Amino acid sequence: MKVLITGATGFLGGALLERLLVHGERDIRCFVRAGSKRARIDELAKKYPQATIELFNGTLGSPAGAAKALEGVDIVYHLAAALSGTAADMFLNTVVTSKNLLEAVVASGRPIKVVLVSSFGVYGVASLPRNHLLTETTPLEEHPERRDIYSQAKRRQERLFWDYHEKHRFPLVVLRPGVIYGPFGGAYSSRVGIDLMGLFLHLGRDNMLPLSYVENCAEAIVVAGQSEQANGQAYNVHDDDLPTCKQYLDLYKKNVKKIRSISVPYVALQAISTVVQRYNVFSKGQLPAIFTPYKTATSWKGNRFDNAKLKGIGWKQIVPTSDGLQRTFTWLRENPKK
Amino acid sequence: MALKVAIIGCGKIADGHIEEIQKIPALARIVAVADLEILMAEQAAVRYGIPNHYDDIDRMLAVEKPDVVHITTPPQSHLALAMKAMDAGAHVYVEKPLTLNYPDSKRLVDHAVAAGKKLTIGYSYLFDPPAMKMREMVTEGLLGEPIHIDSFYGYNLSGAFGAALLGDGAHWVHRLPGKLFHNNIDHLLYKITEFLVDDSTPENPLGSLKITATGSVRREGRFGDVRDEMLDELRVMISGGKTSVFGMFSSHIKPAGHYARVYGTRNTLFVDYVMRTVTLDAQSKLPSAFGRLVPAFDQGLQYLRAGGENLVRFARNDFHYFSGLNRLFSMYYASIIDDGPPPISYRDILRISAIMDEIFRQVPQNGRLAS
Repeated sequence: MKVLITGATGFLGGALLERLLVHGERDIRCFVRAGSKRARIDELAKKYPQATIELFNGTLGSPAGAAKALEGVDIVYHLAAALSGTAADMFLNTVVTSKNLLEAVVASGRPIKVVLVSSFGVYGVASLPRNHLLTETTPLEEHPERRDIYSQAKRRQERLFWDYHEKHRFPLVVLRPGVIYGPFGGAYSSRVGIDLMGLFLHLGRDNMLPLSYVENCAEAIVVAGQSEQANGQAYNVHDDDLPTCKQYLDLYKKNVKKIRSISVPYVALQAISTVVQRYNVFSKGQLPAIFTPYKTATSWKGNRFDNAKLKGIGWKQIVPTSDGLQRTFTWLRENPKK
Repeated sequence: MALKVAIIGCGKIADGHIEEIQKIPALARIVAVADLEILMAEQAAVRYGIPNHYDDIDRMLAVEKPDVVHITTPPQSHLALAMKAMDAGAHVYVEKPLTLNYPDSKRLVDHAVAAGKKLTIGYSYLFDPPAMKMREMVTEGLLGEPIHIDSFYGYNLSGAFGAALLGDGAHWVHRLPGKLFHNNIDHLLYKITEFLVDDSTPENPLGSLKITATGSVRREGRFGDVRDEMLDELRVMISGGKTSVFGMFSSHIKPAGHYARVYGTRNTLFVDYVMRTVTLDAQSKLPSAFGRLVPAFDQGLQYLRAGGENLVRFARNDFHYFSGLNRLFSMYYASIIDDGPPPISYRDILRISAIMDEIFRQVPQNGRLAS
């Protein structure tokens, strides 16, 4: 079984490579871009000398480039996506690259299994009541244009995969992780709050934080990739024993560093968002609409989460949330952001 | 009746075009966007509520029959697309650089003239508030005769565009004759041409201008491919008549400023395109130590006044990032509606194209990997 990982040098990609090796995969092609950091891959290659770990320098910028990467491959784990940049960059590097990959899968004429790492961001939760239970049957976003660019791009990307799957019937499984965290990752998700010129606006408060420790997330991806039952299905990915945003922030302050924060109630945040959006329209975009009522409802109204479907295909949390938090906070403390 | 506008090329700068056009609905409305990659056309249409999107340019031109086409594709395609749009009956706005070289630019300008269509180019900073103010001051005679201009354009390679082209060895910037310079130094050059003697002819588009350029690269090579070859600093000396220019493009100077200092026989003007200020380095008439003490306060007061003016603009919702682009669009559309001259003269457009050719001739880009 030959495996391809796109986004192999990323935060999640390194963890996925390790979990694949732990699960016995021995022929893995890592798609890397020139200039990207490969230390983690090199380290794992040393740890698993019996495995063939191929570094594949290439581009998903064209179907031909993607076809080259897919040569001989039986299963592709598609993690590569743009995390920042202009709207055009985000679509180009998330959606158009995905189309090229899918075109190459179809052109191969072989039933290559595709595992897409999508995002919680694809759900349309703005109109749902507070603390609504989010499951795989929750409707997907119908107004991507009202969301941030990352969510728009991920929504379009996932739609593209389902459209190709419908038409060409290759095996597809989609994972939708919540907030992936761990050493080498970020300090906190915007679900907890955002830093505004040195003051942390704590916006998530008592909302449940859908954490997915990076190793647990990688484990879920491998389990789904290796499960026949998972084909044609989507799975939410998050851990058990989820903290609230407030609990996370308190632990962060206690274990990593003290930060000045101000807690903003949801009702107040909605009022602020309305003002910000109106000013943005009135001033013809002189200041960006970083808050809008729709985005605020999506990010900070609060949901409950459920990972029963993922457990149904055999996923088990391998790192308890308490350990995951401890490891993450230790790393963040020892590696302060410069 | 508002002009029907279509956009070809749905990359980064297309967003700026769409947003600014949508602010002037009395003059223009966007009827369609197009891109060879339908997903890119679709995302622009969805985000901005544009009624139609296409991946077939010919079909778009035939179905939509736009009055104006904005071409925001990579420069390699500008010439062919602009001519195609003109042949379909549209006036054409082309993002800078106009084409890949002077002969192509000349061909395009000649084509526009023959077709009776108006052509313009994205020299947007010329129409930013500080540039307009500087021009007023020059017209009022505050500068006197121009003697020398320092033009500086700082470029942040770790910004969104820099990250995109460094992240992809196949990015179109790497295939331009002048690479990074080619896509940016219009901004350095179009601010100086108005001060330089213009004795250009179609046969000798530089006229008596003398140009000396040197390029270099300061980044460490880390890709082992074409990206490492891309030069990131350019120094240009231009002289024409009794006026000289020193132009500097750098991807490393911090902050990545953007300004011009114009030295004249009466005064020296300093235009900061980032802060949007214009100040005058006035000569002190005070004696002794006072002559050295007072000018700093004078400068401070000028900045305070300029800051205040900007604050008033902000309060009036007239302090947008693309102010110049918006003004340029408005002037261009007005020139079409009124059948007046376009806002940027074809002579200037062609002269800049010729200056760029000469710079790229003197500064080849294939040094590092070859050596």
